[in-house]
Amino acid sequence: MLELKQMNRAVIVGHKSIFEETVDALHKSNLFQIEDFNEDKSGLRIGRPFENVDAVSKKLIKIRSIASLLGVKDAESKKQNTSAVLSSLDDTLEKLDAELDVKAEKKSQLEAELKEIDSLKKELLPFSNISLDLDLYRGYEHLSVFTGYVNENVESAVSKVTSSYEIFYDAKESTVVLFVAKDKATEVANVLADFGFREVRVPQVSGMPGQALSEIDSRESGLVKQIESIDLEIESLKDKYADFILASNELLSIEAQKSEAPLRVATSESTFMIDGWVPEEDFAKLEDIVKTATNGRAFVSMQEMTKEDENVVPIEYDNPKVAAPFQEIMDLYARPKYKELDPTSLIFISFPLFYGMILGDIGYALILLALAVGIKKAISSEAIKPLMNILIYCQISTLIFGVLYGEFLGFPLASLTLHGETVAGLIPGFATINLFASPIGGEMITYPVHRTHLVMTMIVFTALLGLVHINFGYALGFINENRKHGFTAALMEKGSWMVIEVGLLLAALGYAAVLPAATTYAGIVVFLVGFVMLLKGEGIKGPIELPSLLSNSLSYTRIIAVGLSSIYIASTVNLIAFEMIWEPGTPIGGMTIFALIVFLAGHALNTALSIIAPGLHSLRLQYVEFFGKFYEGGGRKYNPFGYIRKYTEEN
Amino acid sequence: MSDPVTATATMMDPAGLKAIGAGLAVGLTGIASGIAEKDIGSAAIGAMAENESLFGKGLILTVIPETIVIFGLVVALLIS
Repeated sequence: MLELKQMNRAVIVGHKSIFEETVDALHKSNLFQIEDFNEDKSGLRIGRPFENVDAVSKKLIKIRSIASLLGVKDAESKKQNTSAVLSSLDDTLEKLDAELDVKAEKKSQLEAELKEIDSLKKELLPFSNISLDLDLYRGYEHLSVFTGYVNENVESAVSKVTSSYEIFYDAKESTVVLFVAKDKATEVANVLADFGFREVRVPQVSGMPGQALSEIDSRESGLVKQIESIDLEIESLKDKYADFILASNELLSIEAQKSEAPLRVATSESTFMIDGWVPEEDFAKLEDIVKTATNGRAFVSMQEMTKEDENVVPIEYDNPKVAAPFQEIMDLYARPKYKELDPTSLIFISFPLFYGMILGDIGYALILLALAVGIKKAISSEAIKPLMNILIYCQISTLIFGVLYGEFLGFPLASLTLHGETVAGLIPGFATINLFASPIGGEMITYPVHRTHLVMTMIVFTALLGLVHINFGYALGFINENRKHGFTAALMEKGSWMVIEVGLLLAALGYAAVLPAATTYAGIVVFLVGFVMLLKGEGIKGPIELPSLLSNSLSYTRIIAVGLSSIYIASTVNLIAFEMIWEPGTPIGGMTIFALIVFLAGHALNTALSIIAPGLHSLRLQYVEFFGKFYEGGGRKYNPFGYIRKYTEEN
Repeated sequence: MSDPVTATATMMDPAGLKAIGAGLAVGLTGIASGIAEKDIGSAAIGAMAENESLFGKGLILTVIPETIVIFGLVVALLIS
């Protein structure tokens, strides 16, 4: 349970004539992780890709560009028969490509036309309010035509220069069209320059500008319609071919993986040698698969694992299915190293435990449980599923602690009598039962446990729980260290902490007169022994970290602290809604609705906080306080040579 | 009515002072956590932008100063 999957280093050797069959079999088995070969002085060379690599990658590029052009997304679909897809692949791909080419070309043509019209329209706009045929702007021998923008009407200024002119001025667009005799053109140009004249080219069209504009508009809308219809056709192509594209993309990706495999493998003139990793339990299976595929002509041999190998072994978890979702939490931190213990199964217990202890509310547990189950059902994504499973485990734990604490959405379920005053609970007739007096703070332990009245006891209890958890971490650290560096190192580095704790405990008990006074001195001696061991094991770093023993276990008091803050938010919402805004028993009216809105909104907010706060704090207790004692991590993910098919069937 | 010294003394309600103390404990430690976390958090986001797999480490480093406010909260609970 705490162990990772044992891996074997294996080498597969054979003649090049069976190279393709071997790679094919390995790919299909999806068991063997190829270790990339780097050329060295051994004389072996990196292999050359199989012959079909060019054809496959060309097709793959084509299909991927089509997929991105059509916007084909990954989607659930029926698995297709591989040989059927393969036999029709070339023809269908060609047909699809041709069809798409025609459509894309037509579309780009139309778009270019649309652009052209658009720029013509922009050129025409300045003249739209001048009712003068566009043909009349050009073709004069003795006349100069000025067309452009001016700051204000120039007629009076022009009239001072010459009396023979014809002017059109559009105040709205501030466009001017001015006809003057050619010999006066220079002077008029000077005058116009004073008014900030900017020339505008007259577009080469004929007819009245207004009419030309409306023609352009109608052509434009026609073009837009055509483009839309082409888009629709492309969309229908997508619907028709989406399955084909997904399936062929998958098949071609597999082919490409296989044909490029020799690039990762050592070869000589006529042999190949594939180096890599396989889980120990699957070694025989792998051997069998390779032998069958090559008629026993390829050899699979197991290699001795060296010390250096241990740093590069790909890591695969080996957890019971129920604990497997928590591997996500492990991966978030780091995969274990090969020789390390895999704490997934421990996180499986402690993460929901702390989460439940923090939240501990029946109402929130039920809401979040429904939410998690709903999301898990609705979204079939492989990435979401483990997270929802974790949430479900956490809510089950929350439900159990909710019953223990007797809380429902911040309301106490049972009535509580303190100092002669009774606070009513949600369930009538359910009164809190006194169990026994807590040794701390003069508090009374009751059922249900009222956290708000047991603060001192809970603080001490959670800190002690933390101490237990931390020591569990030291014990795991001891095992890890023992495996890596031997018993002495383990004893000095991790065992020393426990010796120190025993020393402190003895000294404290002696001091508190629980045990005879002499124990104090014994405790001090034990502590000093532990201290020296720690100094030897960890160096100066050890004593510096000594206070962490206290701060780490006090850190677990967050279990009660965060829990209380959650209760107080919930009960404040209840107080505002059902006491300050509207009190049950008073007449129902507008305020009742308002109170309900406040109630729902407040608890919606607290529900969101109920995932984040306990989740994050529980996670932190694992990562910082617990993992810090034993866990190193940094392993490589086991990623076997193969492909998990989604759209096609294995043939 | 009586002499002014007793009058002031009765105005200083111990429960109120306790509440102020508790509020200060949570509030000041909250600010402290915030100051500490802001630098770590932004650095962690920066690191994550370069390499997504640093999320776990970034989260841990970011929440380490959270302990400050937890201690503040515990102290507030002890006071009240």
